[in-house]
Amino acid sequence: MATSTYLSNPTVTINSVDVTDQCSSANLTRVIEALESTSFGKTARVYVGGLENSTLTLTMYNSFSASETYSTLSALVGTSTTITIKPTSAATSATNPISTLTGCYLETLPIVNAALGALDTIDIVLTGGVYSVATS
Amino acid sequence: MTYTIASSKVGVIGEPFIPADGINVAALLEGGFIVEQSTPKPKKPAKTSTDTNEEI
Repeated sequence: MATSTYLSNPTVTINSVDVTDQCSSANLTRVIEALESTSFGKTARVYVGGLENSTLTLTMYNSFSASETYSTLSALVGTSTTITIKPTSAATSATNPISTLTGCYLETLPIVNAALGALDTIDIVLTGGVYSVATS
Repeated sequence: MTYTIASSKVGVIGEPFIPADGINVAALLEGGFIVEQSTPKPKKPAKTSTDTNEEI
């Protein structure tokens, strides 16, 4: 069976701002919480789907320049926003679907993560929101 | 209220910005990514004096 591979090079927006050139890692995980519904008489645990609680984790280069990381994120801490991510920068299609988390929450924002001789990078986590995917 | 794109990170500079569902417009304004554009008020009509006195 043939295997398709692609070079990981996603396009990422946060609150409509293209942050692709500031990201070095992106991890979008769709989560629907498992609620245990095991009852007497069962011999194995069983679950039903609960609330959706998806997560996007980004590693970003920190920058305090205009229109860069800090100015994008500083006003979003403690609020909800919308993010999009798709596998490549090519047009949205069935093989390059765009995923959207609408109403995801940014709880924390590292301001400075400095080390001597190293670039300042921060990890941010956006949680919750409604997941959707589009192919056109 | 209408908004105009002020950063290429959001789109074409100068184009109108229509926020999608869930977009935090206040954060975009604070970051300087978009600017608010006030809607121009309609001009008042020019004053014209009408002479209502009829000459006899």
